[in-house]
Amino acid sequence: MTENVALLRTTTEPVPRKKNLSEKNIKKSPYDTAIKVKSAIPRKRQDLLKWYGWGYKDSMFKLKDQVATFTGTRYLIGGKSLPHFVQWVREKFDVDISKPPKIPPTPTVYPESRLPKEVREELEKVTLVSVDGMDRLIRAHGQTLNDMTHLRNNSFQRVPDAVIWPESHEQVQQIVNCATKYKFVLIPFGGGTSVSGSITCPAHETRPIVALDTSDMNSILWLDREQLLARVQAGIVGQDLEREMRARGFTVGHEPDSYEFSTLGGWVATRASGMKKNTYGNIEDLIVQTKVVTPKGVIEKSCCVPRMSCGPDWEHIVMGSEGCLGVVTEVTLKIRPLPSIVRYGSLVFPDWESGFHFEREVARQRLQPSSIRLMDNEQFRFGHALKMETSWGGVLLDGLKKLYITKIKGFDPLKLCVVTLLMEGNLEQVTERETQLNNIAARFGGIPGGAKNGEIGYTLTFVIAYIRDLALEYNIVAESFETSVPWERTLTLCRNTKRRVITECRKRNVTHYLISCRLTQTYDAGCCIYFYFGFNSAGCADALRTYEEIEEAARDEIIACGGSISHHHGVGKLRKKWYTQTVSETGRRLLFAAKQALDPDNIFALANMELDRGLVSKL
Amino acid sequence: MENKIEFKDILLPRDTHFGIVKFMTRSWSPKKTLNLDKEYLPQDIKDLVLKSTYLDSILDAECVRNGVSKHQLRKEVVNYVEEIAMDKRMHVIRWMGVFFLKVSFMMKIGIFVNEPAVLKLKETMGENPVLFLPTHRSYADFCLMTYLCYHYDIELPAVAAGMDFYTMAVVGQMMRETGAFYMRRTLAGAPLYSATLRHYVRTLVGHYGAPVEFFLEGTRSRSNKSLSPKYGMLAMTLLPYFAREVDDITIVPVNISYDRVMEQSLFAYEHLGVPKPKETTGGLIKALHTLNDNFGDIYINLGSPMSIKEYLGHPELSAETLKPRDLQKLTDEQMTHVQKLADHVVTLQQDCTVVTITNLLCIVLMDSLYRNKVLCLQEVESQIGWLIKVLRSLGANVFERDVKSGIERVLTVHRSMMRLDKEKRLRLVSSALMNMTNDVQRKMKGHILKAETMVNAVPIIQVQLYINPVLHYCVPSALVYLIASRGNILKAELYTEYTLFRKLLKHEFFHLEGIEEANFNKALEYCVHNGVLSSSGDVLANRSGDKLHNRSGDELHFLLQWAVIPALTTLFACAEVMRECKKCEHKRALKRVQEITELRKCHPYCLSLDAISNCLQGLVHAEALLKYKVKNDMIYEVVPAVMDRCHHLISSIIPKLRLVFDDSNPVIVHQKQRARL
Ligand SMILES: Cc1cc2nc3c(=O)[nH]c(=O)nc-3n(C[C@H](O)[C@H](O)[C@H](O)COP(=O)(O)OP(=O)(O)OC[C@H]3O[C@@H](n4cnc5c(N)ncnc54)[C@H](O)[C@@H]3O)c2cc1C
Repeated sequence: MTENVALLRTTTEPVPRKKNLSEKNIKKSPYDTAIKVKSAIPRKRQDLLKWYGWGYKDSMFKLKDQVATFTGTRYLIGGKSLPHFVQWVREKFDVDISKPPKIPPTPTVYPESRLPKEVREELEKVTLVSVDGMDRLIRAHGQTLNDMTHLRNNSFQRVPDAVIWPESHEQVQQIVNCATKYKFVLIPFGGGTSVSGSITCPAHETRPIVALDTSDMNSILWLDREQLLARVQAGIVGQDLEREMRARGFTVGHEPDSYEFSTLGGWVATRASGMKKNTYGNIEDLIVQTKVVTPKGVIEKSCCVPRMSCGPDWEHIVMGSEGCLGVVTEVTLKIRPLPSIVRYGSLVFPDWESGFHFEREVARQRLQPSSIRLMDNEQFRFGHALKMETSWGGVLLDGLKKLYITKIKGFDPLKLCVVTLLMEGNLEQVTERETQLNNIAARFGGIPGGAKNGEIGYTLTFVIAYIRDLALEYNIVAESFETSVPWERTLTLCRNTKRRVITECRKRNVTHYLISCRLTQTYDAGCCIYFYFGFNSAGCADALRTYEEIEEAARDEIIACGGSISHHHGVGKLRKKWYTQTVSETGRRLLFAAKQALDPDNIFALANMELDRGLVSKL
Repeated sequence: MENKIEFKDILLPRDTHFGIVKFMTRSWSPKKTLNLDKEYLPQDIKDLVLKSTYLDSILDAECVRNGVSKHQLRKEVVNYVEEIAMDKRMHVIRWMGVFFLKVSFMMKIGIFVNEPAVLKLKETMGENPVLFLPTHRSYADFCLMTYLCYHYDIELPAVAAGMDFYTMAVVGQMMRETGAFYMRRTLAGAPLYSATLRHYVRTLVGHYGAPVEFFLEGTRSRSNKSLSPKYGMLAMTLLPYFAREVDDITIVPVNISYDRVMEQSLFAYEHLGVPKPKETTGGLIKALHTLNDNFGDIYINLGSPMSIKEYLGHPELSAETLKPRDLQKLTDEQMTHVQKLADHVVTLQQDCTVVTITNLLCIVLMDSLYRNKVLCLQEVESQIGWLIKVLRSLGANVFERDVKSGIERVLTVHRSMMRLDKEKRLRLVSSALMNMTNDVQRKMKGHILKAETMVNAVPIIQVQLYINPVLHYCVPSALVYLIASRGNILKAELYTEYTLFRKLLKHEFFHLEGIEEANFNKALEYCVHNGVLSSSGDVLANRSGDKLHNRSGDELHFLLQWAVIPALTTLFACAEVMRECKKCEHKRALKRVQEITELRKCHPYCLSLDAISNCLQGLVHAEALLKYKVKNDMIYEVVPAVMDRCHHLISSIIPKLRLVFDDSNPVIVHQKQRARL
């Protein structure tokens, strides 16, 4: 895995900053052990990150002279050409890559800021405020196809009227009070990686909207090596948190695929799930205590204990609240000592079903390593398309290995599936686990596919997100969606959903598409299935609409098959439709009651889940 | 009121053949304050501190803040711990004990202890940490509690000592090995040091089985009066309680009263602005021979132990519990509790004051100076008898075995300050004319006083120093008396003025503002009851014109008049100086007040820089002055309306009485040698 180079902050520190704050106010921080982390992401995000797409400016797929390359040096495939890629794209999507890519021009006009001057001055007493157009635009959205489409067309109905960067819990309190007083809307903005529309500015909001960027709240307040706990401000970015912890010999081990950019607070607010949850747990398992500022006061539990029985756990009201109830400001997290050994592995199975039964058996025996994922054949071949010119060595289906797998073992190259493994621990543990997994795999017809394949699989995780930008430049619309499903329904859910997508495509004369899935997490009671879907939209009048219709149909199918509304992406605005049926009408009322109790004036008017229905803003 | 106290001289039993050596070589297994499963030795405490999560986190934070490697910073912390930490070496304790006893016998002192209190305390030890909080009047304080503990088989206290001892060759190390730990005076600007100290103290209190002793007042009170407490150390020591590391902490207020404070003449000079020499081991050895003298008795009075759990109630839940216990700090609210507690403990120390014959004799002497009248021994004795009654009725503990022999003892002890002349009359001995060399003049902190001024100022200030510890008993009554003596006054008005004066003199006479109403009522009742004031309805008036009054009443009138003259006169001078210059830096104000005091021949105690500072602070407290800092200078600025009112009020109650201290006062005898510092 490539470690990202920590970049120095490139923003110039604004000079008139917080001059109104008295010395006393600053000294009063209750933490004399706080470590302010130098973030890899600058306050002016657009200096380092693409304003119109995913990730770092210097990193992207490029097609030149019929050859694909990935630019930059941040990732393993950076600077390399990918000789198989173009052919794959052609076959799969039938695109004319000789046409120049559609790169959107930097906007020249932005919506006027609606923030009244007096409110701005009031806010400036507490924190830095920006009304710069680009600052606001890039905080109007997350990473859904919907967001990207509006972004590239500069067609958002609403963007934030200002951006603010508080540095502490206390400042957030002052800001929330200010919002109550002056009746403006606050949107907590973490990394903006939301893929549910949760962070997207509510289109019909008439009040001024202020994006509360949490990225300046990124101090490690304390770290207790003995208890293996750390108190961290919620705005810390995943890669910063992990880097700082590793520098001290620890890891949080929470690695959602977006962790280069997503934040601790975002994880809490969306109930995120990390790749290595088998060892470290999902966000809800990692959190020991959270502190949240709501318009009606601070909500937190008064002790820092491993578990308690005290009625419903209100921390779970906060987790998954998608910014609608308040701002998470501080979190106490579990940390673990760094494992001495990290080893990758892969297993090849003749088909999806045998791979699935293998996964089921591993879960039954609770033998999951830190990560275990099953890719379907489509994805396996996509991985192949991303092969670099310079040999990665031992790549599957190369030379002798290919011969062995296809001829001797008789695997069908158009059916075989691959399991990738990530194992952590000491030498003994890792070796033992590997043997156990190989033995189980053998029972289901699987054979070891080498460590390198495993490693490549995990590395690609981080570059896959860049493909969508390239795709959009050639009229291919694509997105992923995921679900949580019981073991017994998994196979049918995958089959039926793919089927449904294909049918829906045909209905709409979409001829070139990709629908693929992988099994990314396993539990005692089921697993998480992650779909990729993309198609060539050249013939569509409204590509976005077509895509959304098809995804909606797919979700209907998923739910009909016993899957859930989401496993980790959340509800946001995209999946409202299924919210109430998922939690029951009574459950929805409970959500409203929570909203009423914590934010009756709808300051946090993000309108996620079903919180737009029946809630009229009081202005 | 219970005024009878049982005191026992703990040195007396050692005054036998081989008494010292036998006692100091006996096997000794002291009682501990804590009985934890594991016994922590001084080295263990250091290890705990160095391995703590707290320091680890602080180090992490510091390296990010100033870019120094953690390794480097850790080394710094290790050095700090070495600098701070106490130790226990039995052979050093024994040798020091021998030395201590030898010197004590050389000084011919007695150490009187209220033994029942010690035994009772010892009985209850073992459950939770104990803090000894003694008054601080002399360097001798450092050894006394330690010796007392050795005597009563109590684990020797860990005593907080200042860096002046640390830097003393050999002595610093020996003190460390008998339990001293060292702290720097200022923590500001040294975050790593203060974190280390804080955690060391906290760990010591929570884990070490010995009492922890420190001086709340932070420094030796040069005036022999209580100082406003410093809060930092108390906060550090109570942290284990607030963090629930220990269930309770027992606080033992201790008052140590001296017949003669070793440093009395140094202090007297310091009051006048003659700088004190630096403490060195060489200096100490030189001073040793001066100890071959009579220093009289020392009274160690242990107040009733106080449970902080009972006093503060169970600590309430705070956000601090969300931190690792090691990182827990005091909340603002808890800090307020600590401050109140500290103030309260100072008054408990005051309550434990033991009034000795020295105090009484000095009052009598000062009284006779004011009256310009020499007293013969009989008169002195009867005066003392009368005073004992007065003070007891004001709530004081007077320890007197036999007045006659007491006077004799004190006259020997203080023969350079006062003596009986050939006619057996009590006289004040003026000090020798000081050689005001250029060097001395250059080093003077305040106004450069004339040598002739000092001749009488020094002994009178010294006498005043022994009156000071008793004053807190009389000040409320004296103020009430003086205000009401100006003319008939309503009680409510009297109270308002009284509180204003208390405010103005807050730093001169430490008290708790919270209980002033009760103090006032008590004082008023005292005045009325003793016939110096009359009350009809709500109106109060002076009764000196009354035919009814007797000799005792007359004496009391006089005493109440002069008791606060030095303080009021100083206050008045401060107010005048500030009115005249409107705005002025601290140092200049001090000089100017000294200058006019010298010029006007006011009470010499008004030359005291300490008293002047206190009065200036008082004026700030009463909002007659604004105080602010410009660069390194403290600046005072007059608030005209308030200042005018204060000035007027002060002048309205200052008694007309004057202390005459030139040759015309028959009480003073002159001596003709050169003074030695
Ligand atoms: C390429 C890619 C890969 C991804 N992989 C994963 C994955 O593996 N696992 C996974 O779980 N998710 C994944 N996601 C989804 C997304 O990264 C998560 O939802 C993440 O938790 C969002 O964090 P963020 O800091 O970017 O939040 P944002 O996108 O800024 O905000 C998300 C929501 O949280 C709210 N919020 C943010 N901060 C706070 C706060 N401090 N207090 C209150 N509310 C707050 C916002 O208001 C918003 O409603 C992925 C997304 C992308 C684009």
